[in-house]
Amino acid sequence: MSIAQVKRIAISDSPWPWLLPLIALLAVFTIYPFIYNVWLSFHEFVPKSRGLKFVGFANWVQLWNDGRFWGALGVTFLYFAVALTIEIILGMAIALLLDAELPGFAMLRAVLSMTLVIPPAIAGMMFLLMEDSQFGALSYLLGLVGLLDKATPMLATSSLALIGVLIAEIWQWTPFMVLIFMAGLRSLPAEPYEAAMIDGASSLQMFRRLTLPMMSRVIAVAVLLRGIDLFRVFDYVFVMTSGGPGTATYTVSLYAWQQTFSFLKWGYGATLSLTSLVIVMVMANIFIRVAKVRW
Amino acid sequence: MATVEYQRIGKSFGAVTIMRDISFRIEDHEFVVLLGPSGCGKTTLLRMTAGLEAVSQGDLMIGGKRVNDVHPRDRSIAMVFQNYALYPTMKVYDNIAFSLEVAKVPPAEIKSRVEWAAATLNLTPYLGRYPKELSGGQRQRVAMGRAMVREAEVFLFDEPLSNLDAKLRAHMRTEIRQLHNRLKTTTIYVTHDQIEAMTMADKIVVMRAGKIEQIGSPDDVYDRPASKYVADFIGSSSINFLPGTVVVDNGGPAVDTTTGRVSVEPSPALKPGHKVVLGLRPTDVVVDAGGPLAAKAILTERLGHDAQLFCEGPEGSFVAVVDKAARFSEGAEVRFAIPPSKVHVFDAETEIRI
Ligand SMILES: Nc1ncnc2c1ncn2[C@@H]1O[C@H](COP(=O)(O)OP(=O)(O)OP(=O)(O)O)[C@@H](O)[C@H]1O
Ligand SMILES: [Mg+2]
Repeated sequence: MSIAQVKRIAISDSPWPWLLPLIALLAVFTIYPFIYNVWLSFHEFVPKSRGLKFVGFANWVQLWNDGRFWGALGVTFLYFAVALTIEIILGMAIALLLDAELPGFAMLRAVLSMTLVIPPAIAGMMFLLMEDSQFGALSYLLGLVGLLDKATPMLATSSLALIGVLIAEIWQWTPFMVLIFMAGLRSLPAEPYEAAMIDGASSLQMFRRLTLPMMSRVIAVAVLLRGIDLFRVFDYVFVMTSGGPGTATYTVSLYAWQQTFSFLKWGYGATLSLTSLVIVMVMANIFIRVAKVRW
Repeated sequence: MATVEYQRIGKSFGAVTIMRDISFRIEDHEFVVLLGPSGCGKTTLLRMTAGLEAVSQGDLMIGGKRVNDVHPRDRSIAMVFQNYALYPTMKVYDNIAFSLEVAKVPPAEIKSRVEWAAATLNLTPYLGRYPKELSGGQRQRVAMGRAMVREAEVFLFDEPLSNLDAKLRAHMRTEIRQLHNRLKTTTIYVTHDQIEAMTMADKIVVMRAGKIEQIGSPDDVYDRPASKYVADFIGSSSINFLPGTVVVDNGGPAVDTTTGRVSVEPSPALKPGHKVVLGLRPTDVVVDAGGPLAAKAILTERLGHDAQLFCEGPEGSFVAVVDKAARFSEGAEVRFAIPPSKVHVFDAETEIRI
């Protein structure tokens, strides 16, 4: 192509020269895998013939009747709800504290982003060690304050394993919320607060009537970003508990991974992941609709 | 209700001092207008009064108590901000009601007060809207409403009518005056607008670059401007200045200017040879064939009830307000007279009234 031709394309009114590369990327890396996934959920891998066999709705029927799937879905929802709630509340609280212009706070704000550069699998390993009942620092501390019996291995106890995983999750991702909220707080206008002070409002009233509503868009974005991520939780449970003890920390992603790669049930694995995709999409859309901010 | 007293107030932003040595007192129930050009520190003075800006020097007294370190919420003031400062996430109704809700006023009372304010401000149709769905003038009225429903000791208004059209502004002027007559709340009102200052104020404070130039009643400030600056600033059409020298004419004092010899009222400070500047308001000069002042007519601008005649004199432009029926051909010489009592005399050096 000559320079003149390139130039003509670049300044033409047609959107296609700009859209095509993106469409191509989407097609190869998103749309095709998605369609393949749908197709796969109607097939199953047969080890004897080393090929895929059409099974109709068998995978979907199996899913419906699969107690382990429903259990994993329950664990996933619990994990999602607890982590999201704590990360939002804690994140907002820390952001409000760090928003003050006090000496040393600039450094604290910088330190915050440090947990985010650690790969989640590594963070999971760290907490696996720290929560060890023999020599784990965290177990020791929890034992000191009387929250944990010294002899109890946290991650190997059904009632505590999910909490153990959640600690790692919350430790690593609360700073992410803090960063988003702090950016939001910093962009809030000062004038309404001045007016509210003159109107006699207390700090709590200002937070409830001004900060929260003005932050609603930011909070919505944080919930969406973090929520989608939380729903496909894999790293921490994989590294720390492998879903155990029993099925106490089995999440949908882990179950789909196991079906696909350990048991080579590609079709059923595809069905599981497709289901969680649909759930995330439905929830995200409902959320976007409900959380629509009008002001 | 309260008095407000500024005692040698100064304000610095870092190394920049924008205000020094402001001292004056506002009596209980008084309606004081702060007047001055853009950037002279009017908003800053109001914000210090409200407690939104720290006082760098001096003492600020409200109701006889020093309030330099008192939190805004404990000063019992209501304020209309120059930039409105509405609550973006609240509808108009809640914007106006907020202070009452915070003060735990019974809901029925809140409703009636908000509705009264909305009716006074022609805002009733907009009570259910968000601030961003309003025009500038409507927002300004919401800001006004927010202050009106308050039972504060002091009202602070920062150019509250600047964005309204002429008719609405006139209407709001009377509404604010009536409100003040009824509530008698001590009020500090900032404006650029002559007419607002003249019609509303009990007392006008003229500011210039962070200092007070004159304090007085509207009549004082208009009839006896303390300096050339005040004379220039007050008055709807800008005043004519003629430099000259004091002489004795027919036993009385007069001033020789390049435009003509003007008789002035006797004063012990006027010695022959004294260099002065005369201030002649366009509304005070009259066309008079036998008058001492002469200038060439350039154009006439009709103002509705009368007209402004622009002339070219030896000192540049010379303006007079004339009968709108009068016709002057371009380039013709027009002669003017002015009664000595209407002539403002300022020292040429200090620019202070003699
Ligand atoms: N935060 C600030 N930092 C530095 N200088 C400031 C600050 N706020 C105001 N100033 C300066 O103080 C002076 C007075 O400002 P102020 O807003 O009080 O003027 P104003 O009389 O209200 O003007 P206007 O009529 O345009 O509203 C201006 O020169 C302005 O530049
Ligand atoms: Mg201002």
